[in-house]
Amino acid sequence: MPERVSERRRVAVFGGVYANAEALAAVLADARRRDAEAVYCLGDLGGFGPHPERVAPLLRAHGVEVVRGNYDEAVAAGAADCNCGYTDPRDNHYARISYAYTVARTPAGDRAWLATLPGHRRIALGPHRVLMCHGSPRRINEFLWESTTPDGLVRRFLAEHAADVVLCTHTGLAWHRALDGGAGHAVNVGAIGRPANDGTPDVWYAILTAAPDVHVEFVRVAYDHETVARAIEAEGLPQEFAATLRTGWWTTCLENLPARERGRGRF
Amino acid sequence: MSVAPQAPFVALSSLWLLVTGTLCNLRCAHCLNASGPDDPWLPTLDAAVARRALAEAEALGVREVYFTGGEPFLHREILPLVEASLGVAATTVLTNGTVMTDALADALAGLARGARYSLEIRVSLDAPDPETNDRVRGRGTWERAVRTLRALDARGLLPIVTATEIAGGPDTYARFRALLTGLGITRPRVKILPVFPVGRALAAGPRLHATDLDGFDRATLQCAETRVVAADGVYACPILAGLPGARLSDGGLAAALRPAALYHPACVTCHRTGATCRNA
Repeated sequence: MPERVSERRRVAVFGGVYANAEALAAVLADARRRDAEAVYCLGDLGGFGPHPERVAPLLRAHGVEVVRGNYDEAVAAGAADCNCGYTDPRDNHYARISYAYTVARTPAGDRAWLATLPGHRRIALGPHRVLMCHGSPRRINEFLWESTTPDGLVRRFLAEHAADVVLCTHTGLAWHRALDGGAGHAVNVGAIGRPANDGTPDVWYAILTAAPDVHVEFVRVAYDHETVARAIEAEGLPQEFAATLRTGWWTTCLENLPARERGRGRF
Repeated sequence: MSVAPQAPFVALSSLWLLVTGTLCNLRCAHCLNASGPDDPWLPTLDAAVARRALAEAEALGVREVYFTGGEPFLHREILPLVEASLGVAATTVLTNGTVMTDALADALAGLARGARYSLEIRVSLDAPDPETNDRVRGRGTWERAVRTLRALDARGLLPIVTATEIAGGPDTYARFRALLTGLGITRPRVKILPVFPVGRALAAGPRLHATDLDGFDRATLQCAETRVVAADGVYACPILAGLPGARLSDGGLAAALRPAALYHPACVTCHRTGATCRNA
């Protein structure tokens, strides 16, 4: 059966909710104010934050269309770990804590719902063919950092998947690259569950518009991060997680950052 | 003898250039390809061959490029080659850290600043203390490598220390992190690799059989997405490069984009540990 492709002109896209329901609510309200016709989430609803059980109901209540992330896949399947793709012992130490917490706090009904999420979505943004995925079009946990995603790889993804625009998340850092005079685009929409390692607690998502060329705007959203940081502490999750929300600097899961992106952070 | 199982070719994600062959100023006790200063058994890669491989790899959508050897900084054209590589993809140089000068570190920092893609320098150490390290790598190597780590960090290059488990216990990773933070490095980066039964650490060991791979996704092996260009041909594995049984082509990359035999005892280590020679 051919894939159904929605036709849109202006959409909001975010990724990496990471069990941060306060940030999610703030982003959904912001997207509504900016007249997004539809809202898309590129996956990873759990991990890191204190409220995995509040995320899926919020997404469903707002009609958000969701792509499955590696976290969602692992939680749905009852896998042994989050399959985040870390190779570093320190990254994996914190990943194990987050994953066990998320699994324990995800209701069975949400797990069943996570299992139904598609690995990719396609929309038409005006005349442009948009492919949405979590990590990369070829692998759910591939990290597409700006400094390690060559133009040649983007062209390959676009050609292999018959797309003009590829949207992804998984790294937590937003970036956009237009290729070949705007004929092709790669956009990492970033994450809303933790800040962008830039020294501010705000989070980022993307608004894409067909104007008629593809226009990408990254939107900064402030939310009540202090409430979330206190909840992290109250739940006994690592203090490092709360510190990241308060300061905007990543303290964990940064060992796999390339030198370029790592150098922009404090740790 | 049974036929070795194979890893599929999935995509060219990582291109490795064995730029100095097995030419190295050190002679480490466990060296993966028995590199050293005297009569290297695998010659240096011609710069023109390296450039052709980069162009081929770019057209194939390569994700990242690695320079190794031997000691890559002994190659006469290493800087222009790294510059060319950074025009294609994120690039990593694996060094023993003992031939770095301030001028070379300055030049690398300049290349990193001017490039769209990330430049990574991996510096090999085998122990966080000089005595243990130098027993494996040679006298004075710890001090010189640590000096290189400081020089690179001071220039914002954020080096990755790469260590094997040869001299360490379960706390190896933590001890290396402590070494780096003790040096005042605020973004410590450490990669630990298992010891492979190859090169000077060659040991008779089991080989993989098809039944060992039942239920295992062979596409997850690094050799499914890696090709290595050396002076005498193209290989699927950086540590088996130069071994006749591992050679996939004696010409360009295109002829080497086919399944690779998992024939060596080192393949058992990769399968068992899930190790990757990539940065992460």
